[in-house]
Amino acid sequence: MSLRGELFDRTKIKTEEASASLQGDLVEALRLGVISMLVLLLAGFLLSGVIGPLFALGSVEETVTDVLTRLALLALPFVAYIAAASVARRYTWTDTPRALSLALTSTVLLFLLVAVGHYAFDYGVFAPRPSLEMTLSQTEAGIRVEAIAPGGAADMAEMQVGDVITAIRRDQVDLAALNLRLSQSEEDTPLRLRFIRGDEELQETVRVAIDSDKQLSALLPGLIFGLVFTVVIVFLPGQWAPYIALVGLMTPLLVGYFWVIVATFSYRTEGLIPLDSNDNFGGFTLENWESIFVGNIAGLEFNIWPILLTSLAIAVIMTFVVLLVSSMAGYALSRMNFPGRRFFLSFTLILHGFPAITLLIPIFIVLLRLGNIPIIGELIGFNTAGGIAMVMVAFQLPLGVWLMKGFFDNIPWDMERSALIDGASRWRTYWEILLPQIRPGLLALGIFAFIGGWNAYIIPATYSIGSGVSNLPVFLNELIDETAPVDWNQVAAVGLFQLIPIFIFFIFAQEYLLNIYAGGTKGSS
Amino acid sequence: MKVTIDNLTKKFGDVVGVEDLTLHIDDGEFVAFLGPSGCGKTTTLLTLAGIYRPTDGEIRFGERIVNQVQPKDRNIGMVFQSYALYPHMTVFQNIAYPLKLKRVAKNIQHERVQQVANVMGIGNLLDRRPGQLSGGQQQRVALGRALVKEPDILLFDEPLSNLDARLRLTMRGEIKHLQKDLGITSIYVTHDQVEAMTMADRIAVMNGGHLQAFDSPDELYSRPKTLFVAGFVGNPPMNFVSVDVSGSNGSYIAEADSLRLEVGQERGGPPAGYDGAVVMGIRPEDIQISENGNVSGEIFIVEPLGREDLIDVRVGPHSFLLLENTESQRQSGERVNLKFDMQKAQFFDPQTEKSLLWQ
Repeated sequence: MSLRGELFDRTKIKTEEASASLQGDLVEALRLGVISMLVLLLAGFLLSGVIGPLFALGSVEETVTDVLTRLALLALPFVAYIAAASVARRYTWTDTPRALSLALTSTVLLFLLVAVGHYAFDYGVFAPRPSLEMTLSQTEAGIRVEAIAPGGAADMAEMQVGDVITAIRRDQVDLAALNLRLSQSEEDTPLRLRFIRGDEELQETVRVAIDSDKQLSALLPGLIFGLVFTVVIVFLPGQWAPYIALVGLMTPLLVGYFWVIVATFSYRTEGLIPLDSNDNFGGFTLENWESIFVGNIAGLEFNIWPILLTSLAIAVIMTFVVLLVSSMAGYALSRMNFPGRRFFLSFTLILHGFPAITLLIPIFIVLLRLGNIPIIGELIGFNTAGGIAMVMVAFQLPLGVWLMKGFFDNIPWDMERSALIDGASRWRTYWEILLPQIRPGLLALGIFAFIGGWNAYIIPATYSIGSGVSNLPVFLNELIDETAPVDWNQVAAVGLFQLIPIFIFFIFAQEYLLNIYAGGTKGSS
Repeated sequence: MKVTIDNLTKKFGDVVGVEDLTLHIDDGEFVAFLGPSGCGKTTTLLTLAGIYRPTDGEIRFGERIVNQVQPKDRNIGMVFQSYALYPHMTVFQNIAYPLKLKRVAKNIQHERVQQVANVMGIGNLLDRRPGQLSGGQQQRVALGRALVKEPDILLFDEPLSNLDARLRLTMRGEIKHLQKDLGITSIYVTHDQVEAMTMADRIAVMNGGHLQAFDSPDELYSRPKTLFVAGFVGNPPMNFVSVDVSGSNGSYIAEADSLRLEVGQERGGPPAGYDGAVVMGIRPEDIQISENGNVSGEIFIVEPLGREDLIDVRVGPHSFLLLENTESQRQSGERVNLKFDMQKAQFFDPQTEKSLLWQ
């Protein structure tokens, strides 16, 4: 067949597809759904059956693959619904009833398929669950036993209807906590329940049984959720999809930040909810922040300002020296030819990959000796902010030099030649013509260096032992170490306090980062 | 200012950029360096600018030897192919930069920049940044920056290569006009022979780091001294064919396979004295399709150029390019007779590639 004939034929097939019947669409939707399910099943099998055991061979824990497998199985029906709904979406705005009926029908069919699978493999709602074989309900006094299965675990332990369970051993429990304990138990795990019968407080050991009854009614919520889910997918504007995915991925991060912020302003939090001493919503306070500035947290006395100053000194010295040395070294490596240039380039790359931790002890000794030298020792010796900054600079420099070299490489030679011919000295060319053009690069490296210095922990903790010199991260660790019990809301406040300068730094840097120059040289803009 | 280049050699390690170059450029002259890429013309220009130090030889501006002089002390202006404008500065700051470096007073800077910008037709763009300008405007800024410090010598490094064809034509005229007006000695590097022919007073043709010829455009075109110059200058290029020239007493015959051409005394004499085959060159406009032509050939392909057609005629194993009026409606495959104007033929020594006619 000629190329032209082939092309013609294809368009014909496409038009046929578009005008296909509802049945045809349904088949397509189901096919897509089943294919996506099979793909996920295969992925799950590969993860748990192949990659997991391979990990285990190297005696690495294979929990990651376990979690991923479970995630794949959990997502399986929903991915299938999305696949089926994607077929229906082509009619969403042209023929809404058709789209809905198609989506809902295929969802029901796919749901049935999944349910059969779960039933056959004792999975999902049909999975055997640990059970005490009695019906419980939460009351003011505790967990009331409403009914007991005859001959079941609770019956064997001689529990009675009307008993009010208050604790497992000495741990107070409510219904949620009890269910949690239960779900973590295996068959025959003994749970020693404390309960009140009449006026007496009694104690019985109930052995956990495994309830493998398959109740079809448990499927209903899943079906309803699936149908709602499909309808949402059918009507979801396509351009929202990336945002929904991003928000989904970011949620854990946002929840974390939210907690930190809430925690610093409250006495106590239960999850994300701030509580006062009577377990009611509320209990907001500024005490966590106040005590930072007063300098007394749970008996640990300190002065925050020298600590802040040390942090700042390390970060600023580091930023300044890294920027200065990296940009000049980067310029030399990019523009000048000197013996050993290639060696230097590859060597810095190796240095960048070198694990800094292994050098902790040798550098400790070097700093100790440096500290014995008069004057210099005061500036960059052991137990000084300068010394710590210098070590941090050394670890940051390889990256900085390479980064800067890359930026200089991107400036055309002609620019520099032009400046030289215009009458600038080499130094002036570097300073007035080249540096302004790599400003985004300088800024990026500056931020790296500043944050690196500000958050530094290992090196300050190692090289400022037993002295007044400590920065915020080291102080934070001290706070956790030396107060008992640890007041986490207080720790969160110090953590947030440490975040503030970085936050300010970013707000200002943002403006510069976005202000990137373009053009001026042909082909390089 | 006079520029004298004596035996200039520039090597990068083992790579020869330019070798043994000798050129004398007069005050106020517009000289073009013409050659294919990698021929050493830009290297020579950058050596003149002081970016490269000469490996050997001498460069003099006027009477001053400048071999060791820093670029900033040479008082030259340069325009780059990429314009090399400073993207973080406004047009004003770009043009004023050479003045700022010379510590010219602020008010004089303003005056001079405005003046130059007006001449260049960019007086209303001084507040913009280079990124906001079109290619032609950027080119004008670059030219303005080169001119503002009143240089003794202007250097151009393929300044028009990045412009579109139409703009290139306009800028070509403007640069030439400006140069004549200001009388600044200018050196213009280009690989485009049309640019070189139209703008320059004299053209230095370079190839492989060597100077091939240094002459006026007319001279290069009608009296090429080497085979390379003959082939490089002129568009469409000259036709070459290897021939034997024989005869005596004012009547000579150039022969090659089926080709038999009569050559006059003036052009036929020197090649007849050469022992063996020589390379004959003839420009497309010197061959005509004519009823009474004595060479018969077949049209291989016709390329319409608009004003005329470029026709490739095969004569035996040889191929000749010629120009023909479009009205004659030639078709490929047609058999035609060719008439060669042998008074314009060139002859070259195949070994040394030097012209046998002009020394």
